[in-house]
Amino acid sequence: MPVKFDYLVRETTSNLGRNVTITLASIMTVAVSLAVVGASLMLRSGVENATKRWQGGIEFVVFLRIDATQQQIESLQNDLDQSPEVSKIVFVDQQQAYSEFKTLFADSPELIDSVTAEDLPPSFRIEPVNKDVDAVESLGLTFEGRSGVDQVVFASKTIRLIQQLSSRLTVGIFVIAAFLLGAAGLLILNTIRMAMFARRREIEVMKLVGATNWFIRVPFMLEGLIQGLIGAFVAIGALAAFKPFFQQWLPSAQDIPLVGGFQVSGGEMTVIFITLGIVGIAIGAIGAGIAVSRFLDV
Amino acid sequence: MITLENVTKTYKNSTVALRDANVEIAKGEFVFLVGASGSGKSTFIRLLNKEETPEQGHIYVAGKDIGGLSSWKIPYLRRNIGCIFQDFKLLPTKTVFENVAFALEVIGRPRSVIESQVPAILDLVGLGHKSDSFPTELSGGEQQRVSVARAFVNRPLILLADEPTGNLDPATSVGIMKLLDRINKTGTTVVMATHDRGIVDTMRRRVIEIDRGSIVRDQARGVYE
Ligand SMILES: Nc1ncnc2c1ncn2[C@@H]1O[C@H](COP(=O)(O)OP(=O)(O)O)[C@@H](O)[C@H]1O
Ligand SMILES: [Mg+2]
Repeated sequence: MPVKFDYLVRETTSNLGRNVTITLASIMTVAVSLAVVGASLMLRSGVENATKRWQGGIEFVVFLRIDATQQQIESLQNDLDQSPEVSKIVFVDQQQAYSEFKTLFADSPELIDSVTAEDLPPSFRIEPVNKDVDAVESLGLTFEGRSGVDQVVFASKTIRLIQQLSSRLTVGIFVIAAFLLGAAGLLILNTIRMAMFARRREIEVMKLVGATNWFIRVPFMLEGLIQGLIGAFVAIGALAAFKPFFQQWLPSAQDIPLVGGFQVSGGEMTVIFITLGIVGIAIGAIGAGIAVSRFLDV
Repeated sequence: MITLENVTKTYKNSTVALRDANVEIAKGEFVFLVGASGSGKSTFIRLLNKEETPEQGHIYVAGKDIGGLSSWKIPYLRRNIGCIFQDFKLLPTKTVFENVAFALEVIGRPRSVIESQVPAILDLVGLGHKSDSFPTELSGGEQQRVSVARAFVNRPLILLADEPTGNLDPATSVGIMKLLDRINKTGTTVVMATHDRGIVDTMRRRVIEIDRGSIVRDQARGVYE
């Protein structure tokens, strides 16, 4: 027997309206915890984007001249391949550099329009065997001034620090967010339990006249789900509004040399928002599901 | 229509509420369950719509052994059984019409059915003109009529009544009994728990007497004692 739509709408909205204060409390808790999760995901994306070329143990980058010839590039590649001090080489050609540039500056289309792949230098990203600062520097400098090479750029301590800080911060924030989400789930559970208590007479009559268990449960499940979803929407709205400040507040590409900007692209924001929506719905469904199965006794 | 075979019901606190009961009730019968307070009448009634489950024995309702009924099927059993109670169990926030409509709505009956059935049943119980009143605006007898309407609107095979006149004065009780009699005449099996001597003695229907959980008398056209 399909549950009728108008019945669901009526029951769910009247449930939500019945306990306005506690409903608001659970929605706000969901929103705050999801906003914290979202902000830390944004931070992580920003740092990842900013330090993209320095991930996976890359210690220095050899930028080639834009007019470097194929022979110059190949000879350098050979030397790098044969060097016992080099453990990994990643060659980034102009096309790859351009697509990286596009994701980094997705929010500034004018900038992307003004730059083409031909304007960006190809480069070798290098992971040395010996990570000691002096050893890295002396190895890197052997490529400086070579024909076809424009400049050699080293990962600074700042970059390592930023990466470390961001990953530890993310872990810390996630632990806090997990507690907040747990609290949000418990609040939703309690809201649903109160809604069921307020409607215990209706529930008794429903059981008596032969309403199916799912018919009785669904409005309460939906109520929890909607609370989670509204909380997620509030968090998403807050993050969308906060994003311009986030970009301003973090250093731009120009302020710190050697890194890209702390940009979070539109695509990444979408993924973060969808994640928050799913987590919100899940929290609501779990809270309501536990309430319904524990306390409804149908 | 209803068969109990060696049914024993023991509550968790080891109270034996019904002991080795054997009863056969045919379709269309009208049966009084009598006995002192605490003798096991309500337990008998609650076993029939599977609000309680027996320790031992089998219960057949409309040809089905309800002992092995899985929990998702219980609602469908209950759609064949109407229930009325001493305390009416009406929803105070709903009107008379809405209270009766609720019973159809929550089992998924379409709007059109509700709009034709509810006024018809309210006319049957004599409350067509009180459709928009709230339960608190009605007398006890009128409230019980609403609850009869709600129990009967889905035309169940069986009507269970647990002391339906327990809160009513004798004159009002007579009205309710006439209504139940009419419902019984449509072919509905009625099982009514009561300790109202006057009603049992006037109606002269089958009487099953329970004493501390045991069936001590089963008498056709019986009296209270
Ligand atoms: N849910 C219950 N848990 C424990 N004991 C109960 C419960 N319901 C009824 N009883 C006991 O079972 C016996 C029969 O009760 P009941 O069926 O309500 O009798 P009646 O309806 O004839 O007054 C009584 O002793 C009562 O105390
Ligand atoms: Mg009783």
